Formats: sequence, structure tokens, C-alpha cells
Amino acid sequence: MIKIRGKFIKEKHLKYIGHLDMMRLFDRAFRRSNIPISYSQGFNPQPKISFATALPLGVESYGEYFDVELKEKMDIIKFINALNNQLPDCIKILKAVYVEDKKSIMALIKWSTYIAEVKLINKMSKQELVKQIDYFMNLEEILITKEKQKKGRTKKTRIDIRELIKKLDILDYDDKKIIFKTTLKTGSEGNLKPTVLINSIDEYTNIKLNKDSIKIQRLELFIENDGNIIPPI
Amino acid sequence: MISMEILDDILLKVEKPARYIGNEQNSIVKDLNKVDTRFAFAFPDIYEIGMSHLGLHILYNLLNKENDIYCERVFAPWIDMEDLMRKNNIPLYSLETKTPLYEFDFIGFTLQYEMSYTNILNMLDLANIPVLSKNRKEHHPFIIAGGPCAYNPEPLWDIIDFFVIGEGEKSTLEILKLYREWKKENKNKEDFLDRVSKLEGIYVPSLYDVSYKTDNTIEYMEPKKETYPKKIKKVIIKDLDDIYYPEKMIVPYIETVHDRVVLEVFRGCTKGCRFCQAGMIYRPVRERSFNNLVELAKKLVEVTGYDEISISSLSTGDYSQLDRLVKTLMEEFKDKNVALSLPSLRLDTFSLEVIEEIQKIRKSGLTFAPEAGSQRLRDVINKGINEDDLIRSVKDAFGLGWSTVKLYFMIGLPTENKDDVMGIKDLAYKVKDVFFNLPKEKQKGNLKITASSSCFVPKPFTPFQWFGQNSVEEFYEKIHMLKNNIKDRKITYNYHDPKLSYLEAVIARGDRRISKAVYKAWENGCRFDGWAELFDYDKWIESFKQADIDPEFYAVRQRDYDEILPWDFIDVGVTKEYLIKENEKAMNEELTKDCRLGCTNCGISTTFTGGVCK
Repeated sequence: MIKIRGKFIKEKHLKYIGHLDMMRLFDRAFRRSNIPISYSQGFNPQPKISFATALPLGVESYGEYFDVELKEKMDIIKFINALNNQLPDCIKILKAVYVEDKKSIMALIKWSTYIAEVKLINKMSKQELVKQIDYFMNLEEILITKEKQKKGRTKKTRIDIRELIKKLDILDYDDKKIIFKTTLKTGSEGNLKPTVLINSIDEYTNIKLNKDSIKIQRLELFIENDGNIIPPI
Repeated sequence: MISMEILDDILLKVEKPARYIGNEQNSIVKDLNKVDTRFAFAFPDIYEIGMSHLGLHILYNLLNKENDIYCERVFAPWIDMEDLMRKNNIPLYSLETKTPLYEFDFIGFTLQYEMSYTNILNMLDLANIPVLSKNRKEHHPFIIAGGPCAYNPEPLWDIIDFFVIGEGEKSTLEILKLYREWKKENKNKEDFLDRVSKLEGIYVPSLYDVSYKTDNTIEYMEPKKETYPKKIKKVIIKDLDDIYYPEKMIVPYIETVHDRVVLEVFRGCTKGCRFCQAGMIYRPVRERSFNNLVELAKKLVEVTGYDEISISSLSTGDYSQLDRLVKTLMEEFKDKNVALSLPSLRLDTFSLEVIEEIQKIRKSGLTFAPEAGSQRLRDVINKGINEDDLIRSVKDAFGLGWSTVKLYFMIGLPTENKDDVMGIKDLAYKVKDVFFNLPKEKQKGNLKITASSSCFVPKPFTPFQWFGQNSVEEFYEKIHMLKNNIKDRKITYNYHDPKLSYLEAVIARGDRRISKAVYKAWENGCRFDGWAELFDYDKWIESFKQADIDPEFYAVRQRDYDEILPWDFIDVGVTKEYLIKENEKAMNEELTKDCRLGCTNCGISTTFTGGVCK
């Protein structure tokens, strides 16, 4: 198996392209680039490309990852250039390496770091903001209500998200807005969306936020290696 | 220009924001300082539908080939976006440069179906452009329209400044050339309309008068001046190989209705089905050459990266070199996993060999369009297919492993009786029997038959243009008859909303007075009428009342041959005498042969040359 793991950014207006559409976009870009990728067998052959994790609509990212299988090996710089030539301006491959890894990138991802900019409803001093965030991070549990559609009925469950938040810092603030930097659980073992975190801050602290105007960027995805949190490549 | 910051505030609140951002692969960016004519191609429906329209891709690339013209796109924003645009005072803008539409020189609407008309009014209003032509000032863009529904332009006569009748590839460049000359001379819009009316295929409604008799039919329609043409002759392209075909196609970010390369193999159709407007107005048949098509396919796959090529035309099985084309394309793309689809195959030309080729890569459901349930009625409409053909095709298909079959029918065709209607049921059951009469080991998959009926809408320039449509009640009776009789878990029966088809019929054969009802309907909040979730029949009926119009007069009234029809001033090449003759033959259940087998004297070859009619 010849497998390349690549890192890319997705920014500006491309944040309006959802995950499935982005997968189709990559499929077509690969076909235009003439990179010899492998396809699955069967009546409806699919290209063997997999993405680390779905990026929510409206979120820009500077650290997305994918795995792709090739029929034959090619020069990695040529691979990056050929693909970048076919991708829109706002998606760019930053880095790519051959990996021996049998596990798919999807199964490896454990954490994401985000920056979230939110408008403040009430003006607050820095001291007070920091105090509120400390209080929030020292909570024993942070319960949220999750709604699930089951057989046409909405089922509500309460779940604790405290363990899903690794870090939460105030990066910057002024009278009108606050910018958080946060590391949240991502992947199949647990996943927390930054919008859910923002809602919880609004609910559990005195920081009142305008939830209609959240700008989010993902900075990086992380895997765990012997207890260390490191980028995938 | 509308900044991305302003849009950022609303785009995350709407469904599918990628509809409104542009910047797709192969979309064209030009320096606004270097262009002098700006043309907005406007499709009066949502992005996913408009982007699936081949004409858009052709015209967009054709106009943008000219250095001093910049053609951009605009679609009807869905109601969630419209709402936010209105609340935030964002005018309707072009996708490429986000320029408000009122800054353009031209806005060109394509008229693909009647039920999109209210969207045209709504789009103009959203662009802060007066909806009625007479209220627009010198600084406003010219609002023009073309496409199949423009063959009866009258229902939009006071909205659109002028119509382009025929194939727009030729006319549009001529119009823009004239426009540039006119602009240099600093004359008024009236002067331009006067001059443009002299180009072939251009209809400027404000230059004509219509008078009505006391029975509401047309007394006369005539030009206001001698110098305006009495008849408007459609424009066509003689040789398809000479005409421009885009070697680039915009690739949308989001999934559209036809998300694939479209290869137009020919225009026109020689079958002569009597209900079909496209088959009459797009004559003569003109084929693109085999070599040209293979080259185009290669280029288009290369620049788009699509995984599917659709071989398109009104009746693809009639393409003279279809087998060779399919085999060549399959061979060419087999390593890239590019599939082929043939959406318009007819039963009688349905070739087993072709299906087998396609099947090598992908298997989808099969669709057949017998159109009518009985042989008698199929003869009336000149659908030259018999039941044996259908049964044989279906049997072959089942044998090859297909198990999903869709059957398309129309109800309310001229002369239709109860037996004809029940014939729809009978045919569906016969198809079922074909499957279960196969040996057990050959019955592959889970059989699923869908029979769908649409309600027949008589259209201008067809042999049935005089026919009084079935009433909504008659349609419902027929639908109930089928619903109550098709009781089989292998067969699903679907039907179209008769109310929608009724309105379509009113507008399709409407005259100038219908324009007022369209305006009222829009004022009353109608838009996206083709969308079941937004279609509001009662609002339309109310609008007719307000406009003092009896819709029955337009939909269900049988016309006489000597009545002046609202579209009689347009010359499509096919003569009225031919249409009458065909209608008479229909009443006698007589067939007319495919004109590839010999000329049937429709009249096209005396006024237009090209294609099979040389």
C-alpha cells in the first residue's frame, strides 16, 4: 500500500463548502491532476481518499489532514505541486509525506486547537474575564443538553463536556469582543464543537456572548503518541 | 460591490451558502477596468438548477471570449437568503464580482419554464430595478430574455425590454456589438430598441400593438411603424461543428442537478411527437461530428475532473454514431473511472449493446417514457413505439440485471378515454409480469416499478396548440382512477399536481393580458412556483381575479384553426399548415414517420437550411 498523508489549509470563502462537497472537490482535483490514485473495487469505484475529521461549515482551518492511496509512488514535491495547481486558491497543500501507517488518519486524531472570536454583550475587565474562565475550567462537570432524533421523536440527554476541554485561554479581548484559544477533544472517542463550548461559557459564567457572531478557525489537529500530543506529520 | 464582510454576516445563517459565493473552478475573473460591456446571465431559479443548464455554460464562455465583454452569473436566491438580503439592504449581485445588478448593461434571463416567471420579477425587485419596462430609466440595464419559453413572449411583454428568439449564441454577440456602437453615439434607449428590432430574431414588444375582439380573442397584432418586422424569424446555427462549444465548464462546489460533463450530440429532433414543443421549435436536426465530440469530451474531463459524462440531446438514441461514440468514450476513460450516462434514450432506439457498454462501470435505474398507456393514444401523439418494443427492452434490461424501472406517462392527452388511462396501469403490470416470467435464477435484485403521470400542457408551436386542456377536476378523476387501481407492492404510482399544470397551461398560451396576472401574483408573494413547498394555487387564482382574467379562457378553451394565436407573429420555420395537418392526423390516429426517413414537409427546409434537411 502506497499512502501519502497531507496537510492543508482551507480558508476565506471556502469555509462555506461543507465536508461532503470538499471530498468531491478533492476527487475532481485529483482527476484533473493526473496523480495515479487508487480506487475501490466494485460497480461504483470510489477514490481511496480519507479525511481526518469533518470541519464544520463556516470554520476556516490551517491544519487539515488527509490520507490518499496511490497506484504507484511519485516524487512528493511533484505530488504537492500537481495537486495545488488543481485546487482553488483558498485550499492549499502545505506538506505531504509517505506514511507506513496502517491506521487511517481518521482513527488517529484526538484533539483540535481552535481560535474563536465572539462579540461580547457586556463590557468586562480583563481581571473579571480571567476569573470567570478560571471558574469555568474548575467546574467539576459542565453539563449540556444534547438532542437526538430517534424515530421521529427528539430525545434529550445531558452529557458532561468538562473532560473534552483540554485548554481554554483568552488570547485577546476589548470592549466589544473576546478571542479564545482552546484545545478540544476531536474524533471518534469524543468530539466537542467550539460552538458548543461558546454556548456553555455563556451559560455557566457571567461572560455574556453574542452567539450569532462567532468566527472560528481551526489551527491544528493532534494525535497522541505515548501520552504526548503532537501534530500528525 | 458587495464586500465579503457584509456577506459573512449572513451567509452562515442560510442553507447552502456556497450558492452565493462564486469563485468556482473555471469561473472567469476579469479586470473591470478593461471591459466595457457587462452582461449578467440570469437564471430565475436556484443555483443548483441554473448551473445544470447547458445554455448557461455555452453563453457564459462565448461572451467571455470577447475581451471587452464580461458575462457574470446570477441566480434566484432561495427564500432564506432573500429574506436576509432584504433585511440588510443587500441588492441582488453577480456571483463573479459581487456587483449589484443595476450596474450592468444587460441582464439576460433564460426562460426555461413558465413557473419561473415570478422569480424574474422578484429578482429585478431584489436588484432595486423597476419591474415594469416602462418604469425603467435611461441608467437602468436592458432586461432581455431568451430560451424555449420566449417562443411565446407575450406573458412577459411589459417586463422584458426585448426577446431573443432562437439560438442565442449568434444573436447575443450581435446585440452587444450594436450596443457598443449605440453607446458611443450617446443616444437614448428608445433609439437602441428601434435599432435592435431590426436584427434577426429580436422582438421588442413595446413596438407592437395588439387589439382584441369582444370574444377576447386577438383581432390583430401589428408593428407601430412600417419599418418594424411583421414576423420575427428565429435564429439558428447552421452547422453545430462551427459553433462555439465551451472547452471549459464551471464546476460548482456544491452538488447540482446535473453534476457532470454535458456533451450535446445534436440539436432538434426528427421523431415528430405531437405534444412536444422542443421537437418542433428546435428543428432542423443538426449533429455534431463524432471527432469533434470525442475531442470535446477529453478536454472537458481534463478541465473539470468530473467522473461522469452525460450524452445529451432530445433523443440521444437517434445520434447516427451513438454506438461508436459510446465505445470510444468508454475506452478513453476506463482508467479514470469516468462513467457515461444517456438520459434521453428512447425505447425504439434502445440498444442492448449500448447498455452493456455502460453497465461495465455503473448501473442506475432505467427510465422509459411510453407517454401514453394505450397503443391507440401513442399513435395519436405520434410516439412511434409499440408495446412489443417496450416489453422486449424491459426483458433485455431485466436479463442484464436491472431491477428498477421508471415509466413516464402523460394524462389528459387529446382524445384520451378511460381505456387509455387504464392502459397506464396495464402497462406497469405487464412490465411486472415480464420480470416474474423470467426463470428464477434470472430474476436479479428486488423489482421496483415506478409509474409517473404528468398532466399534459398544450404548448405553442405544436400540433396540439389549439387543444383545450383537461380541467383540474378531470385530471384528478384520472389520477384517482389510477391510484385506486394500482395496488401492487412492486409498483408505485406518482403523479404531478394538476393545479400546477393548469397554471402552466394558462401562461404557456397566454397573451399580453396574462402579464398583469403574473405581476399581481408576484405582488401577492408568489415566487418559486415550480417548488411544491412554495406553490400557492389560491394566491394565483386571487391574482387572476385582481387582474380581471379568466384563466379558463387560456387553459381549457379549444381554439379554432382560424383564431389569431398570441405567438403567430413568430416564425419557427415549421408552418401552421403542417401543424394543422398533424393535428388532423392525430384525430385519425395516423402516424407520421421520422423525418430522417424522408421529408414530411414541415416547412423548416424552405426557410432554414442545415442539418438533415440540406
